[in-house]
Order: sequence, then C-alpha cells, then structure tokens
Amino acid sequence: MLIENLGGNVMGTIPLGDIVLYLNPLHIFLFVTILVFTALIAISRTETQVESMFGSLDENKVSVGKKEFKQRRFLSVICGIATAGAMITGDLFNFTLFMALIGIVNIGIVSAVKQVDVLNSAYQYGLIAMMCGLPLFGGAAMILAATGTLSLFELASIPASPMMIFGALVMLIGVCGESGIAPFFASKAEMFRTPGSPFILIIHLSSLFIIVRFVEILLTIL
Amino acid sequence: MNLMAQILINVIIAFLAGSLLLGFHRKVMARVQLRPGPPIIQYLLHSLKFFFKETTFPKTASIPFYISITVILAGIWVTGVIVGPVAKGSLMILFGIYAIHKIVEHNAGSSSGSPYGKVSCVRAVFSAAGELPLFAVIAVIFILTGTMDISGIIAYQSIHGPLIFQLPLAALMFFTLIVTKSPYSPFAITKGKEIISGFETEHFGMLRGYIMFSESIAWYILLWIFLTIFFGPISVVGYVIGMIVICIITGFINATTPMLNPNHSVMAQISIAVICTVGSIIMIII
Repeated sequence: MLIENLGGNVMGTIPLGDIVLYLNPLHIFLFVTILVFTALIAISRTETQVESMFGSLDENKVSVGKKEFKQRRFLSVICGIATAGAMITGDLFNFTLFMALIGIVNIGIVSAVKQVDVLNSAYQYGLIAMMCGLPLFGGAAMILAATGTLSLFELASIPASPMMIFGALVMLIGVCGESGIAPFFASKAEMFRTPGSPFILIIHLSSLFIIVRFVEILLTIL
Repeated sequence: MNLMAQILINVIIAFLAGSLLLGFHRKVMARVQLRPGPPIIQYLLHSLKFFFKETTFPKTASIPFYISITVILAGIWVTGVIVGPVAKGSLMILFGIYAIHKIVEHNAGSSSGSPYGKVSCVRAVFSAAGELPLFAVIAVIFILTGTMDISGIIAYQSIHGPLIFQLPLAALMFFTLIVTKSPYSPFAITKGKEIISGFETEHFGMLRGYIMFSESIAWYILLWIFLTIFFGPISVVGYVIGMIVICIITGFINATTPMLNPNHSVMAQISIAVICTVGSIIMIII
C-alpha cells in the first residue's frame, strides 16, 4: 500500500465509520514532538527583550504583561492541540479544519500585542489566511466530488484522476497561504519580532509541521 | 547486533565523524584563504570542552525553553541517526527532523532575550521559507522510485543504478541544502557575523556543548543521506571519500563566497528549488 511507502509501516488503525485514523512512525514522531512542545509552552515563562538605547547608557526592556501572557498562552496551547490533531487525522476535511483553526489562533496569539508593526503584519497575514481558506476547503471539496470520500486510507487506494490532482494542487495553494510559507512568508515574518518566545514558537512550529504532514497527504492522494 | 548497541555505536560514529568533518571543512576554508587554520581535531575538542565549562543563564531568558531547546536539538538528531543509518527508515521523518531543527534555530534565538538572538530568530523564519522547498527533493525521489524508505531507495538503485544520473537536478537541490547547513555558508543568514553567533550567541557551557554535539551529527547525517540516496549502496570507504570530497567542495564555496542578505538568500534557494523540481519532474516524464 502506498501509505506504507511514505511514513513507514502502519502500526494501527482506529476505524470510525468512513474516517479511519491510522498511525505510522511519521505520525507518532510528529504527534509526540508537538505534544512535548505544547507541554513546555504551558509551563514556560516569557523572555524579556533587552536593547541598549541610543544617546544614553539606559536599556530598553520589553516584556509580556500578565493578562496578555494568559491570553497568549491559552491560544498557544489550543494551537498546539490543533496541530497535534492535524498530525494524526486520517480525514482530509478534518485536516482542513485543523489548518483553519491554526490560522485563526496564530492571528490571535499576536493580536494581544501592543506593537503597531506586529499588528500590521498579523492583519496582512489574516487577509491572506482568509483568502486562502477558499482554495483550502475548495480543494478538499473537489477531491470529495471526484472520489466520494475524504478518508485518506481510501484515497490512497484510488488511482489519481485529473480532478483529484487539480483539487490537491488547489489545496496546496490554500495550505501555503494559511501556513504563511513562501511566497507568503513576508507577511508573517514580522509577527515574530514581538516578545513572548514560547508563543511565537508555536506559530512557526505549527506552520512547518502542517507542511510536513501535507506533503505526505499530497503524495498519498497523487 | 543488539539494537541499543547499534544505536549507541552509530551515534558515537556520527558525532566523531561529524566533528572531524567540520574541522576538516574549516581547515579547507582556511587554506583557500591562505591561512594555516586550526587543527582538524579542533571542533571535536571544542565540543567536548563545552561540556565541562560553567553554564550560565541570562536573567532575561525564557525558562525552561532556553535550556530544553538544546536538549531537544540533541534528541532530534539522535533520532535522525536511528531513522537514517540504523533503521534506514522514511525520508519523511528526516524531513520532520529538519523542520524541528529550524524551530530550534528560531527558539534558541528568541528565548534568551538578546537582540542578536532575536534577529537570528526572525531570520530563521525567512530561511525556513527557503530551505524547506529544497526538501521537495524527497517528493521527486518518491515520484521516481515509489518509496520514501531509504532501504527501498537503496534497493531501487542497486537495480537501476545511482539516482544522481537519473535525477541530477534533484541532487543539485539536495547539495544546495548541504551548502546551506555548512558553516560560514553564503546562505547561513541565521548565524551572520553581524549578529555575533546568531541564535547561539547566549548559549554557553553545557548548552553550547549540546548544540555543537547536535551540529556534528546533523552534518554527518546530511552527508550520509545525500550519498545514500544519490549514489546507491556504497561501502564504508565510499562514504568516507564522498564525505571528504563534499567537505572540500563546500569549504571552497564558503571560503570564496560572501554571505548573502536574507532576501537574496531566500530567493536564491527558492529559485533553485523551483527550477530543479520542475526540471526533475520533466526529466522523469520524458
């Protein structure tokens, strides 16, 4: 089976009707790693950014306030759980839902920050994420229309038709925009200038892990 | 052989060989620049030395991430040894390990509170956008061979010959990735000298020891993957010669090429990735 050629031998399945969750070494590795990072985020405190000031011997310290800290930590943990879900899901539609949730909480994590440049960047990223929601869900819908299923286990055994390939490529555009990778990275990189290291970590981590998982899904469908 | 013993032996080999290769790489760069350079064993001695130095923690650091991120780095590359030389498992897991390596660059920089680390952290986001598309090479290999398993790719090459002759553009992509991860690379924007040592600037003592230990293993694993998936089943002597030759080539490139600015670096990597991916797919179809 094709699935076994991608992430290693299937170690087990959880059949839930049409949706069949399956685990292979790749999924377990990604799932455990994201849970470790999420646990660390939940117990971590934030750093204080220190910069020397021009014209004097003073220092400029920027840190995260307590209320802001609680809001951002909560959203970061939600982002971690959503990413973990996207790593082990066996359903294409669930993957798109997790992806959309990650996009929303990514904006939420930086929207509590009181820095104009960072908020501008989050706003631009939000626009791209919203626009890319259409190809993300649209691509999944095309694949459903072409095959009659969204189960990755089933899709792996169906030979790729032109509509499936087109749907997968449309989804790729959606994932690229939602996760903010090239060529959309310029809108997202400025978001990382804010303090709150553990929280901005999960924004980057969720994007990269989504890409890794989507490469597997893409090759499974094709 | 017992699996645990096999893992332990391979980790030790990866650390020692990786350290010596990085030392050799630095020596090549020095000789190209008409300097004597440090002894080849210097990188290994530095790595070991840091494990016995005093470890300090900045008051501004994000604890426990500041500490745990270096342990995570060491952990993922030990996993890389298990997935690669020991189990010859899936390239997808190695792709995941590389993605976490980018996360470590990001978080090690931002967790200290240092402005140099912070710039390196933002650059890590840029560089991930350039480096991860280069990993599309594994998709190209999958399209041709029908497997992501390293053992399956070796078996394919033993029948059809080395992949470097069938997918030269894909090999170029992977080689660009190797150049990117080599020390003093034109693409190493996260460690530019204008930001001191980038994300490593505030990590001292044992934490730096973990980073150097991991970088040695990472260098060895990248070279091992390149030689394994493009040159087919080769002997130990073949690996040694191949790794030394790659170090000479990358050392020469890095010694003679200035560091690119972040935008140029990312665009150059993305351009190489797109051209080589499309070119490789066309070659497969033809």
